[in-house]
Amino acid sequence: MKKTMISMILVGGRGTRLGDITNATAKPAVSFGAKYRLIDFTLSNITNSNLDVCGIVTQYEPFDLMYYIGSGASWDLDVLDGGIRFLTPYSRKDDVLWQKGTAHAIKQYYGFIKDYQPSYILILSGDHIYKMDYQKMLDHHLRHNAEITIASTPVSEQEANRFGILEVNEQNKVLAFTEKPEHPNGNLASMGIYIFSVNVLEELLQKADPEDIDFGKNIIPKSIQLNKAVSSYKFEGYWRDVGTIESLYLANMDLLDDPDFLGLNSSKDMPVYSKSLNLNPHVILSGGSAKRSIIADGCLINGEVIHSTIAYETVIEPGTKVIDCVVLPNVSIGRDCFLRNVVINKGVIIPDNYRCDPLALTLITDTNLFEVGEIYE
Amino acid sequence: MNNLFMVIDATSKGNFAKLTRHRVPGALPFGAKYRLIDFSLSNCKNSHITNVSIFPYGNYRSLADHIGSGDRWDLNRRHDGIFILPPKSLNLTVEDTISFQRMYEHIEYFLRSSQDYVIVSPANLVWNVDYNVFLHYHLMNKADITEVLSFDKKRLKTYILSKSLLLEYIYSYDQIQFRNLSDVFDYAPNLRKETYVFESSVYFINSSKELYEANMQMLFKSVRKEWFKKDRPIFSKETMSAATRYGDDAKVSTSIIASGAHIDGEVQNSIIGRKVYVAKGAKVYNSVIMNQCQIKENAVIEHCVLDKETIVLEDAIVKGDPDKLFVSEKKQVVVSNESMAILQVSSECFPFIKTGGLADVVGGLAVKYSQLGIKSQVILPLYPQIKNKYELFLELRATDKIVYDLKEYRIGLYALNNQNTTYYFVESYEFFERENIYGYEDDGDRFAFFSLAVIQTLEALDQLPDVIHMHDWHTGLIPCILKNKQMGYKTLMTIHNIEYQGIYSSEIYERLGIENYKMTGHNKVNFMEAGLTNATKISTVSETYRDELKYEYYSKNLVDIINRRDRDFYGVLNGLEDDVDPNLDLEIKNRYTLVNVFEAKPVNKEDLQKQMGLEVGNEYFVLGMVTRIVEQKGFDILIPALYDILENSLIEFVILGTGEERYMNALQEIKNRFPKRVSLNLSYNATKPSYIYAGADAFLMPSRYEPCGIGQMIALKYGTIPIVRQTGGLNDTIDAYDLSSKRGNGFKFFNYDARDLIFQINNAFQIYTHMKNDWQQLIINAMNSHFSLTDSAKEYIELYRLI
Repeated sequence: MKKTMISMILVGGRGTRLGDITNATAKPAVSFGAKYRLIDFTLSNITNSNLDVCGIVTQYEPFDLMYYIGSGASWDLDVLDGGIRFLTPYSRKDDVLWQKGTAHAIKQYYGFIKDYQPSYILILSGDHIYKMDYQKMLDHHLRHNAEITIASTPVSEQEANRFGILEVNEQNKVLAFTEKPEHPNGNLASMGIYIFSVNVLEELLQKADPEDIDFGKNIIPKSIQLNKAVSSYKFEGYWRDVGTIESLYLANMDLLDDPDFLGLNSSKDMPVYSKSLNLNPHVILSGGSAKRSIIADGCLINGEVIHSTIAYETVIEPGTKVIDCVVLPNVSIGRDCFLRNVVINKGVIIPDNYRCDPLALTLITDTNLFEVGEIYE
Repeated sequence: MNNLFMVIDATSKGNFAKLTRHRVPGALPFGAKYRLIDFSLSNCKNSHITNVSIFPYGNYRSLADHIGSGDRWDLNRRHDGIFILPPKSLNLTVEDTISFQRMYEHIEYFLRSSQDYVIVSPANLVWNVDYNVFLHYHLMNKADITEVLSFDKKRLKTYILSKSLLLEYIYSYDQIQFRNLSDVFDYAPNLRKETYVFESSVYFINSSKELYEANMQMLFKSVRKEWFKKDRPIFSKETMSAATRYGDDAKVSTSIIASGAHIDGEVQNSIIGRKVYVAKGAKVYNSVIMNQCQIKENAVIEHCVLDKETIVLEDAIVKGDPDKLFVSEKKQVVVSNESMAILQVSSECFPFIKTGGLADVVGGLAVKYSQLGIKSQVILPLYPQIKNKYELFLELRATDKIVYDLKEYRIGLYALNNQNTTYYFVESYEFFERENIYGYEDDGDRFAFFSLAVIQTLEALDQLPDVIHMHDWHTGLIPCILKNKQMGYKTLMTIHNIEYQGIYSSEIYERLGIENYKMTGHNKVNFMEAGLTNATKISTVSETYRDELKYEYYSKNLVDIINRRDRDFYGVLNGLEDDVDPNLDLEIKNRYTLVNVFEAKPVNKEDLQKQMGLEVGNEYFVLGMVTRIVEQKGFDILIPALYDILENSLIEFVILGTGEERYMNALQEIKNRFPKRVSLNLSYNATKPSYIYAGADAFLMPSRYEPCGIGQMIALKYGTIPIVRQTGGLNDTIDAYDLSSKRGNGFKFFNYDARDLIFQINNAFQIYTHMKNDWQQLIINAMNSHFSLTDSAKEYIELYRLI
C-alpha cells in the first residue's frame, strides 16, 4: 500500500529525569492536564494532519502504553490500510533486537517502512505538548527542496543546553547542529521532529556506523557533514518537551493559567483526543471547593483545591488543602492534610494529617512520603 | 454465549415536553455525561447479552448517533450485535408501550435471534443490574412471564419470557385483545406469572420532573454506589473535552460536574454537563444543566432543567419551583425576566362572549398572565351582546378608517381594564352589529376585516405586544397581513379545533390589499392554513394531539403544512380554573374534599340516582357523561358498547348533552330497553353538570379524537374516575391505573373499538365491586391530579419567551 508520508513515534527510553513517575510507565503514557496522557498530543496531531500510518517504536514498559492506545480508535487511527503498529523488540533466529537508540530502532524496523513505500518519513517523539499540522511541515520540506527537515523552535538561553541547537541561514538551511551543547550557539532548538525523504534516510542508515544509534547525536550531524539539504521548519506556537518533573509541573501550570490553553475544549480547530476511561463525572461534596483548578472525571472532592490540577479518580477528604500541586491519577488524600508545591505520583495514598510544603518543587511517591513530609497533630 | 436477548422499548414518548422535541427519551442526557440508554446498554454488556434491539418511535437520529456501531458496549459484533428497528408503518400513532403489532413489523428479527429467552425493557430506566438474575428467577419459578418491579412496587415495564411465547403473541397481534406485555401480564388467563422485586435504586423516567429527580438522586452517595459499580461500570459514548476548569471566583459545593465544564461562578446542588460555562457572578442552584449550556454573567438559575446548548443571558433570573420546573428547549436563548406584553386575538373570550371552550381558555389565560406579571391584552370584535352588557365600562380609545375591498369603513377601538388585564373591542357597524357571532356567509370577510383592524390599531394599545397570540382560524390571516405590511411582530397560532379551518374565496386577499399571496388550490383561501404557514410558531392544546396531527387521519388536508412546521410546533395542555372544586360547588348535595370524599360521594350518588329516576343504591356502578353528542365524542363505539355492558344489571348510565339526532335516537332506544338504569338529559340545561361530576363513579370519554378535553379534568377533580380513549389531551391527563403499584388515575384503551371500551368498563366495574381499596386509591389519585390553568399560562409564557 503506497502512502506519501508515514509517521513513526520514538518512545524510546525510560526518561529517568522524570524520576519515579516513569517507574512503571513509558514517558508518553504519563498523565498531563488531569485527563490527558502525553501521547494524546502527538497522536491527535497525526490524525489531524491526515496521516493514517503510525509506527510506535517502544521498548521500556510498553504495556501500559499499548493498552492505552489499543487499536488507536480514540484517535480515528484504526483504519484498515494503515493504522497503529507497535514496534517492540523481538528475537530473530540469530539475535534479540534490543533498541540501542532512536536511529537504531528505525533501522531495525525498516521492513515496516518498506511495507508502505512512502516518499517521506515523519519522525516524532511521544512526550511533547503541542499542536502541529505536519502537512504544513511537509509543504515546507517540498518547497525548500529539502532532504531532511527539522522542526525547530526558539527556547530560552538557560534551557538551550537541554536541546539540540540549530544554526541556520536566511533560507532556513541548517548549517550546524549540536546536541545538548554546553555553550549553545544560539537558541533555536530542534524539537526532535524530522521529515526525511525516504532515499536519504535509507542512505544515512546504511552508511551509519554500528555506533551511530541516535538521530540527534549521530544521524543529523552526519547528514550536515555529507552536505545533505537539511532545512529548518520554524514552528510558532506552544511547545513543551516534558522531560523533567519541573517541565511537567510547569506545563500543567501553563494549562491552569490559560483558559484557552491549546484550545483543548474546541472541537473545531485540530481537536486533541484522548481515550475515555469511562469514569463518572467528578463530585464536589459539601466540604469541597475548587478555585483556579482543573479536575478530571471520577474524582471525589471534599477538601479545598486551589491552583492545582487533579487527575482522574482522585479522592480528597475533608479538611485537606491542596495548593499549587499537580496530582496524578488515582491518588487518595486523607483528612486534614496540607500539600503545597508538590507533584503527587500516580496511586499514592496520603494518610490523614500529612503535611508537605517544600521550598522547591518535590515529587511525592510511595517511597519518599515521609522523607519530604510528615504527619503532624 | 448467553441465552437471553434484549428488546429495548423506546416507543414511549413520556411527558418531557420540550426535551423530547428533537430526540426520543432514551437519548436524553442524564447525570452530566450519560444518556438514559447508556444504562440499559451497559447492563446488557455487563450481563453478557450480545443481541440487543431497540424499537424507537419517531425521531431516533440522536439515539442512533449516540449508539453508533455499539462499540462502547461491545455490541459491534460479527454475530448478533445491536439493531435499531424503526417503525415501518407511519400510520401507527404513539403508544406508551411497545405493542405486538410493532414487533410484528420486525418479526424477522425475532425469528433470527438464536436465544431462547427475551427481556423486554424500556430505554428510560436508570439502574445497574445483571439481567441474568431475572432470567434465573424466571426459570427457578418455572414462570411463563416474569415482571420486574421496583423496590416500591412501581412497574418498570420490564418482562422476561420465552421467545416462543412472545412469538405466539406477535403472530396473533390482530386477533387477541392484548396490545402489549403489560396487558398480557394483567389480563391473560392460564399463564404462570411471577414478579421479581428489584431492591436497589431504580428510576423509571417518564417526565422532565422525574428526569430532574433522578439526576438529583446522584448527589446521594448511596445512589451513586448502586448505579456506578466498579465491577459493572456504566459506559457512554466517548467524547472530547478537557478536564473541568475552575476559575478564581468559583464556588461549588454538592454538585456533579462533567469534563469540559468551565466554572467561574457559583454552583450548588446541581448536575453540570460537559462543556457548560458558568460565568463570573452567575449562580446555579438545584438545577440540571445539560451539555454546552452557557450561563452568562450574573444570571441566576434555580430549579431548572436546561437542555443542551441553552444560553442564559446576562442578568437573567430564571426560577422554577420544585413542582413546576423551568425547562428550556435545546439551543433556547433565555433572556432576562423583564416584563413582556402579550396580545391575544380571538373571536371570543370569557366572560364577554362565549360559545365554546375557546372563550374559557382565552379568558382564563388573560387573567393568569396578569397575575404572573405580564402585560395581558385581549382583542375581539365588539358584538352587540357585549355592547349591551358592558356599555358603561367601555372606553373609546381610538377611531380609524379601514380600507377593505377598496371601500372605507369606520371602526372604533374600545377598551376595558379589569385587574390589570386590558380587553379591546373592535367596533364595526357593517361587520359585527349582527344578531349572532358566527354563521354568516361573509364570515370570511368579517374576520379578515377584524384581522386587518387589529393590526391597524396596534399603535393605540396600552403597550405594543412582544407576541401576538392568535386563536383558531378566525385570526389566521394576521401573519400574512403583517408580512404584507412588513411589520415584524412575532406571532403564535394555536389550533383549538382543526375541523374548522375557514375556507373562503381567495378574493379576500385582494380585498385586504395583499398581492403576492400563495394560492392553495381552487381559488380558495384557507385561514387556518395561512396562519399555520406564516406564524412564527404554532401550537395546539396537548402534546399527544400535537403528535397525532402529524397523521392525515387527524389533520386531514393540513397534514403537509403541519409536518413542514414540525420544528416550530408545540403542545400546551389546557388547564382548569382554580374554582372548579367539589368543595366550592354550591349545587351539589354534599360538598367534599379528599378528607370526606368517601362519605360524601355516596350521598351525591344517591342524590343523582334519585333525581335521574335511576335505581338507587351504592352497589350500582354509575357511568356518567357530559358531552356534545357528536361523532367525534365516540358515539359510534359507545352505543354498541352500552348494549353490551348494560346487560350487567349493576351498571347505570347517565348522560347530559345534545347534538346529532341519530345518536340521540339510538340513546333513546337504549333507554327504552333499560329504563331504570339509563338517564338521558338531552339538552344543555336538562340538569346540572355538577350532579354528574359529583355523583357518578366513572366518567366516560371514548372520543375518536380529543384535542385537549376538559371533562376528564373536571371528573378527576371530583374523584370521578375517567374511562377514556388514549388520544389527544385524554392521553396526556389520564394514566392507566396499575394494580401492582397503585398508581394511575383512570382507565384508557387504545383502539377505537367497542370491544376495547367494553373491556375497560368491565375492568373498572370489577375493581369498583371487588377491590374497594383499589377504587379508593383511584379516587385519591384522581383528586390529587393537578391540571391548572396557571400551569398552562406559565407554559405559554415560556413559549412566548422562546419566540
